[in-house]
Amino acid sequence: MKLRFQITKEKEIRFISHLEYVRTIGRAIRRAKLPAAYSQGFNPHMKYSLASALGVGVVSYAEFVELELTEPMNPLEAAEAFKKALPRGIRVLAVDAVETNAPALMSVAGGAEYRVTVPWTGNVADAVEKFNSADEVFFEKQAPKAKEKVKRIDVKFYIPEISVVQRETETELHFHCRITHNGSMKAVNLLNTLNEQYGLQIPVEKADIERMDLYRTDEMGNKWPMLDSLYEQG
Amino acid sequence: MNKELTIDMLAAVKKPARYTGGEFGSIFKEDAEVRIALAFPDVYEVGMSYLGFKILYHLVNKMEGIAAERIYAPWIDMERLMRERHVVLTTLETKKALSECDLVGFTLQYELSYTNILNMLDLGGVSVLAKDRGDDDPFVVVGGPCVFNPEPLADFFDFAILGEGEEALPEVLTCYRDWKREGRPGGRPGFLHRVVQVPGVYVPSFYDVTYNEDNTVQSVVPNNPDTPPTVTKRVVADLNTVDFPTAPIVPFGEIVHDRIMLEMFRGCSRGCRFCHAGMVYRPVRERRPEILRELAHKQVENTGYEEISLVSLSTADYSCLGPFLDDMIADFKDKKVSVSLPSLRIDAFSVDVAKKVQAVRKSGLTFAPEAGSQRMRNVINKGVTEEDLMHAVSAAFENGWKKVKLYFMIGLPGETDEDVLAIAQLARKVQWKFKEITGQGGCQVTVSASSFVPKPYTAFQWAPQDTLEEIRRKQGLLIEATRVKNITFQYHDGQTSIMEGVFARGDRRLGKALYLAWQRGQRFDGWADVFNFERWQRALQDCGLDPAFYSHRLRGEQEVFPWEHLQPAVNRAFLASEYKKAQQEMLTKDCRQGSCNGCGVCQRLGVPVMDFGNRAYDASKEKGFASLGEKMAGGDNRSYSMSTQHPGLPGKEGDAK
Repeated sequence: MKLRFQITKEKEIRFISHLEYVRTIGRAIRRAKLPAAYSQGFNPHMKYSLASALGVGVVSYAEFVELELTEPMNPLEAAEAFKKALPRGIRVLAVDAVETNAPALMSVAGGAEYRVTVPWTGNVADAVEKFNSADEVFFEKQAPKAKEKVKRIDVKFYIPEISVVQRETETELHFHCRITHNGSMKAVNLLNTLNEQYGLQIPVEKADIERMDLYRTDEMGNKWPMLDSLYEQG
Repeated sequence: MNKELTIDMLAAVKKPARYTGGEFGSIFKEDAEVRIALAFPDVYEVGMSYLGFKILYHLVNKMEGIAAERIYAPWIDMERLMRERHVVLTTLETKKALSECDLVGFTLQYELSYTNILNMLDLGGVSVLAKDRGDDDPFVVVGGPCVFNPEPLADFFDFAILGEGEEALPEVLTCYRDWKREGRPGGRPGFLHRVVQVPGVYVPSFYDVTYNEDNTVQSVVPNNPDTPPTVTKRVVADLNTVDFPTAPIVPFGEIVHDRIMLEMFRGCSRGCRFCHAGMVYRPVRERRPEILRELAHKQVENTGYEEISLVSLSTADYSCLGPFLDDMIADFKDKKVSVSLPSLRIDAFSVDVAKKVQAVRKSGLTFAPEAGSQRMRNVINKGVTEEDLMHAVSAAFENGWKKVKLYFMIGLPGETDEDVLAIAQLARKVQWKFKEITGQGGCQVTVSASSFVPKPYTAFQWAPQDTLEEIRRKQGLLIEATRVKNITFQYHDGQTSIMEGVFARGDRRLGKALYLAWQRGQRFDGWADVFNFERWQRALQDCGLDPAFYSHRLRGEQEVFPWEHLQPAVNRAFLASEYKKAQQEMLTKDCRQGSCNGCGVCQRLGVPVMDFGNRAYDASKEKGFASLGEKMAGGDNRSYSMSTQHPGLPGKEGDAK
């Protein structure tokens, strides 16, 4: 059997890297003494994985970890033990159990919902309207390793629409971002796109980015929760 | 006071998790009456790997009303941002600026971290110079191995604790709490006069140093009646009776030693003549195997770590290592926890041990012959022969290892070019052994040679250090001699060793140069990419100081050293005798293999060697032996008899008694 947990990565630990986050989860599973399955071989590894990688500095309320067990366990009891073994900044929001041969969580995520808050109050309404009504908006993404190689992506394919709220000292953007088998797009690059395409001066480096949700999608575009059963955090 | 590390700051620096804390196992005590910052003068990954602070962190936080918090040196990228935006350096737990703590405790692990201490105080809003600190400033206390000569830092710290902190630090904190509760009578001097009564505490401003015309030290004497003429280090008589952390902090990111550290024993009695740790951590005191196993189980449960490292100065010397390892491996096999050793002795037993433990298999085996020729190994009292090394590598090759790493030092006292070249020859012989045993070529040998730095309280404290030119010439010899297939030669430029040497045996006058070099931008001197030798040379010159005086001079037999009022309890006469024996290429046996060599530590501290193999000389059976408890009760530990400190070499009969 496999357990699936929805967990968080909150403000206090937003700057730990994905790798550090993964290792932290692994050690917490060991501390919680869940009956984790291990790979065979000279250097056995615990069989657990995360559904998607999060950029450093991004807060998330929708991280998903999947853990293979050697023996069945009550998911609620597992969640309770796991909760106690986690550091500040990681909470368990939901738990679900599936068959060991169920498809990996990684392959089922179809989209994510974001909230981005920036300490900036420039005129954003026009740009958002133009973005929302455009058919295509391109962003040139540099490949991390080969500097001369530039990938041109259509932002609208990933993010069809943005909504915006402005307050006295800050601007808040809401949007959904598609996740495909070939990848997705970073929330921060939406801000870069708005700056480049519409001449905005959003201070991208000060953006407080939060992933509010991660979900499955069907052919009709309907959104479904990642986990089937919910467990309310006490 | 601006304390906030904003999103854009954290996003702009390397490894931001260094600065945000909140790791599993970290302890938050918002309402503590007394707060001490345990400050490590290097980056997070280095500082978090330091066992001493893991021990003190848990020990202090168990005390009611007293909090210990952690603080590390921000890397250069973060420091720049903090200074630009006037952000103060804070602890990781309750985000207190250093200036808001009651005490700030720095550990002195390495001479080249001293500039970071000045920099951290400055970033934390504390006056860098002790004399400028006012009633609202914290007390700056230092400890750690370099505390046996903290004189170059005398201008910057308020007091020091010599030796082990398990008992001394709680005494100091209790003394501080009482003084604070009483309304801080007498102000800062009032506290210093009180804390100097705690055995093992040294207050540098309570001593006056005078110098001879030739610039050597004439005397170091107390300038008030409360102060003992010498301060002797603190030790824990029985490690089985003190707390060892069972729930250490588990960091998010990968630190240098990212595993459980189980301290098997303290001290080492092998007596290598270059080794500072081997002298200042004496006597050897082992932990009982059953206690170690219990500690290991608790730590595995509380941390989730998958590796336990059995640490000590020489783990293979633990009296019951064989059976202990078998037990440990059996205990943890099903829990998927591996056991590892940080270093191996040069013998077949160690290879046998390495076979049992998994972690060393990946990387190949490492041995430390320390010197290439037998002559030099006798000079340094390494007590290892070429035959021993060949036995050890044979055992390794027979068991499938193909890679060997060998550690050496160059620049040892009395070294000739022949001795240097013997390093390369030894590496070749290891390769030939591989061919002889496996019938194949291709044995990878890595030769690592560091430059020897003479340290206080070693037999070589009198010896001149090689000059930069000489170090580079010898490195050149080895570069040529190791141009052999499958031999890799590793070395570091000698500039850092030269500066390490100046501070290791330096005196109070160096404080000015330290301050100047820091003001001109020196920090992280232990990091080769940041270290700036020319700036250091200029700072010394501008203060009228000559590095050659500190490093390259043969010190006089009768010379008074700047550190002799601070006592690890090793007899000067013993060290002098060891220096003489080094020149005669004579060996001194480990006191766990024979009789007492007269280093004086057991007798002076009142603490006998604790070895569960019953191999050790037992000083407590001597006539007139006074135990630590008796000495403390009688106040003897504060200041041992001056006669044992008498400078000079022993008589013809050899070892000092």
